[in-house]
Amino acid sequence: MPLLDLGVAIAIGLRYFTIIYLTGLGGLFSERSGIVNIGLEGMMIVGTVMGAWGALEYGPLAGLAIGALGGLGMSLVHAVATVTFRVDQIVSGVVINVVAIGLARFLAQTFFGQATQSDPSIPHFEKLDVPLLSSLPAGLGRAFENMSPIVPVAFLITIPVWFVLKRTRFGLRLRSAGENPDATRSVGVRIAPLRYAGVGISGALAGLAGAFLAIEVNELYHEGQTQGMGFIALAALILGNWKPITLMYGALLFGFAQAIPLRLSDAPVISLMPEQFIRMIPYVVTIIAIAGFVGRVHPPAAAGRAYEGGGGSI
Amino acid sequence: MALRAGAPAPARPPWVDFLIGQTAALGGAFLFAGLIGALIIRAYGVSPVEVYRIIWVYGTSELSDVARVLTNATPLIFSGLAVAVAFKAGMFNIGVEGQYIVAMMTGAAAAVSLDFLPGFLLVPLILLCAIAGAVAWAFIPAILKVRTGAHEVVTTIMMNGIALSLVAWALLNPLRSSDEGLVDLRTDVFADKALVPKLSTSFGLSEQIPASVHLTWLFPLALVTCVLVWVLLKRTRLGYEIRAIGSSSGSAEAGGISISALQMKAFLISGALGGLVGMNSMLGDRGYLGHNYEIGLGFAGITVAFLGRNHPFGIALAALLLGMLGRGQDGVAVSFDLPTETLIILEGILILSVVVAYEIVRRAVNRRRQKIVRAEETAIAPDREATDAAS
Repeated sequence: MPLLDLGVAIAIGLRYFTIIYLTGLGGLFSERSGIVNIGLEGMMIVGTVMGAWGALEYGPLAGLAIGALGGLGMSLVHAVATVTFRVDQIVSGVVINVVAIGLARFLAQTFFGQATQSDPSIPHFEKLDVPLLSSLPAGLGRAFENMSPIVPVAFLITIPVWFVLKRTRFGLRLRSAGENPDATRSVGVRIAPLRYAGVGISGALAGLAGAFLAIEVNELYHEGQTQGMGFIALAALILGNWKPITLMYGALLFGFAQAIPLRLSDAPVISLMPEQFIRMIPYVVTIIAIAGFVGRVHPPAAAGRAYEGGGGSI
Repeated sequence: MALRAGAPAPARPPWVDFLIGQTAALGGAFLFAGLIGALIIRAYGVSPVEVYRIIWVYGTSELSDVARVLTNATPLIFSGLAVAVAFKAGMFNIGVEGQYIVAMMTGAAAAVSLDFLPGFLLVPLILLCAIAGAVAWAFIPAILKVRTGAHEVVTTIMMNGIALSLVAWALLNPLRSSDEGLVDLRTDVFADKALVPKLSTSFGLSEQIPASVHLTWLFPLALVTCVLVWVLLKRTRLGYEIRAIGSSSGSAEAGGISISALQMKAFLISGALGGLVGMNSMLGDRGYLGHNYEIGLGFAGITVAFLGRNHPFGIALAALLLGMLGRGQDGVAVSFDLPTETLIILEGILILSVVVAYEIVRRAVNRRRQKIVRAEETAIAPDREATDAAS
């Protein structure tokens, strides 16, 4: 029943899309403010363990909030290092990722009594069937049954994100801090608070994505469950040219690439490959996409460079 | 590093500045990390002083303890060096993880298929095959970097994911042990001559160092590699050019250096070093490659490289420190009601504070130098155009 499988594959793809898209939106805020955030993966990892604990203790909604707070906390470390102390942004991001793995083990040991995973069956939201779409024929409806309510939220969040970035004073200033901080500063706008905000939002969104992964997708925390999706989100961000709507397309592509190994292993052509090679598909897709698109897109002009202006007194 | 050529002697010689800076940064970072660590340990109702003492005791009190620390340090030296060489060229090899995993696979393939060779040929060939595998794995992100500009952080992370699947496939298919009754997923056990000899047997110390400690000749090899990398970076043209593109690619290119060719070379050298990371656990300890091989050594190399300030000798010291913390976990587990993960946190706080402390010190030293240069310029040649202060 290939079509039925296709429906399930779409459902799984949409879950991964949600993770990659939320994290990618986080990266968007950070990089549009001028701070490259390689540490998204680490922030997401902290989100998974904090979110799992929060949901076990206080229910799924609190879990998502606590996961977001965990990511936010991690991102503040990145902000302090890169904005205040002007440490190289890639160095700081890499360190954040290394530290996050250790921190997650420590937190898991403290929360769950074991370093690598939590108890299963974390409380999650009631799944919903999308009206109309879930009654599509030929098994395609399966794609829209039993959906986590966070998935449609991820699609809808595009509207406020777009509005904030394009239509508010904060969004304009945030973007200008990432394009031309000197010009921004010259009209009396301080750079550091904007970049703190950008990095902070990125951490909260990555943490939220991590919490969603642990609570809504896997219904447990276990070490390594993020599978490098923070980096895949960065790739989606490049593919999406640092814009929310095109980022959404990129996240859809990578989300479905993640779903292929899990659900389409019986499809023609794919079924001829050994299982381990099918598992490589999302990573290969990411590499090809990055290699093909980088250079044709325009990252924020000042992203990656510390803002030195203001004579050190930011 | 700022250019000092032509600058008149400042109030303090630059190396004194450098030394003071290094000591202040390292000391400050260790103190800060130690204090935060103490707060966490205190929160568990355990005495921090006692914990730090036990870590020291477990790492130093007996010869076998020292041997254990050195064993822990061996792979970390290789992975730290691998990260550092790429970093010196301005790149991040986050892919040491995948490179050493693939290297274990190619090394294991050599070990099982070339076992007709005598040991003195077999062991070097295994190491070479491992290095070749790692270099091949590093080649892909390197060529993508120089040809398309794909950032190596993202591509190497993806290569790590692919490496895990590739080795899983190899262990299930071509490398799988021919022993049908075996439940464990692994290669055949290598011939004894394929293993790297232990230092304890070579020096007749089997009495003091138990067989469970796998300190092999790979540790001295790691130290020699430190020296070789130091020579490469500081005493050869290639090393000079690598450092030049790492510190300022623009001026290096203006100076006639081809950046992409050098980035390529540096990244492949980094990969080659990464190839040796997994060898001690495969050729010194287990004698086969199983599905539960040790992971995370490549990421640990990042910590080692940053703690060691990307200097080969600093890396050796940092690897020893982490080796000691690793050994200390045993002590903490036995002696206290404290999660051993606390030490991982300590490590994390340490690396964060080292990175920040060095940045603070670097800026302070730069400011001082600029002030000195500016003062002298105005004193000597007030009419001459101020040369751009190198930062």
